[in-house]
Amino acid sequence: MKLLPYGPRAMLAEFESLAEVMTAAARWRSAELPGVVDVVPAARTVLVTHDGRLDPAALPPVTADGAPASGPTVVVPVVYDGADLEDVAAACGLTVDEVVELHAGAEYTCAFCGFLPGFSYLVGLPSQLHLPRRATPRTRVPAGAVAVAADFTAVYPGESPGGWHLLGHTDLPMWDDDRAVPATLPPGTRVRFEAR
Amino acid sequence: MIRVRSWGVVGRVVDAGHLGRAWLGASRGGAVDLESYALADRLLGNHAGTRQFETSGGLVLAVDAPTMVVLTGAVAEVTVEGGPPLGWGAPVVLPAGALVRIGRLLDGARAYLAVRGGLVDGPDALDVGPDPQTAAAEHAAARRPPPTDIPVWPGPRADWFTDEALRRLTDSAYVVTTTSPVGTRLAGPALDRARTEELPSEGMVEGAVQVPPDGQPIVMLSGHPTTGGYPVIAVVDPAAVAAVAQAAPGTEIRFRVAGVPRISR
Repeated sequence: MKLLPYGPRAMLAEFESLAEVMTAAARWRSAELPGVVDVVPAARTVLVTHDGRLDPAALPPVTADGAPASGPTVVVPVVYDGADLEDVAAACGLTVDEVVELHAGAEYTCAFCGFLPGFSYLVGLPSQLHLPRRATPRTRVPAGAVAVAADFTAVYPGESPGGWHLLGHTDLPMWDDDRAVPATLPPGTRVRFEAR
Repeated sequence: MIRVRSWGVVGRVVDAGHLGRAWLGASRGGAVDLESYALADRLLGNHAGTRQFETSGGLVLAVDAPTMVVLTGAVAEVTVEGGPPLGWGAPVVLPAGALVRIGRLLDGARAYLAVRGGLVDGPDALDVGPDPQTAAAEHAAARRPPPTDIPVWPGPRADWFTDEALRRLTDSAYVVTTTSPVGTRLAGPALDRARTEELPSEGMVEGAVQVPPDGQPIVMLSGHPTTGGYPVIAVVDPAAVAAVAQAAPGTEIRFRVAGVPRISR
């Protein structure tokens, strides 16, 4: 781990792998250190924002073989009717049924959020479904779209532009302002998709 | 009841926003100049965190009952029809039927028009919340023009830039080209990178000075994306973020190394 400066009220920890990021983010959040405002994982880093009094030495150490995420499991019901389903099947050399079976058969974990409130990057996508983003992003992806890109899958929390491949849609809202934790799939959450 | 006759330039209703949701993909949001917003609540005797108007000019409101209001943030051309004049930082009671027009901003990028009790949603218009039962300020607040001398700390990716770029950042003037709740874009000597590989997206903070490939810096404000893939060269001292939020297009700002006072030359 490398600790990078980020002014008087933040620090950025850089790691070698996403697995270490996930372990650090879970451990540092659950430590509930006094003065910590937020613990924000991303692809290779964890941003810790604080009130100006956090001693970096107080952050619990992170080992590469850390315990896997042990968050709650959320089941996301999906209708696999996405606009890219057939293209994805063709690009992966699979049938549509096989794509659905693989996507709905895996167990995922939210590694980090970003892009939009409640947009959760889920890892655990079977390697047969790894594809680069669409060459041309869509100007409008509907809310609830269930999509894949690279080694991630995600649910679009609201209508937005987007370059991921659309496999289906869910009616499960990804954000509720009235909840203490408004995101439905915060980092550390385990996720399964269930075909409807 | 308060009827908005015109929202003008990016007029909107804001609160203080929410910290602690960046891990869920949401930055603070809310008032861009948090200091001027909070000053308005204090002057009116409001509890902290009410909903108020934020405007970059052109907001027109009518009140249908006596309403105490105050104006903070940018100095603006203001006219009141059917009521007393509304100056900067001095609470005034508008009588029923008064019409307030906020015109051009004269000094600053955002003005806050706040009402005692805060704004709440009414059945078909905005309404005024319950009276806070505390005293409002009797005298106008003193106004200091927002400084254009902005202290910055080294950012996490300062070492992705050339030594020359780090010198330029604090030795040159940068001019504001545009500002939105997402951030303020600046134009000036380009900040060249020493490392040009792609950076995986990483967490950003309010005040982060992010540099896209054109070398022209962007200072992140309250509505910034929680993660970004351009390197952050520096971070504005938290106490100076409000000053950046008030730098209107055309304003020249100078960054200086935080903790070291600028020596006048």
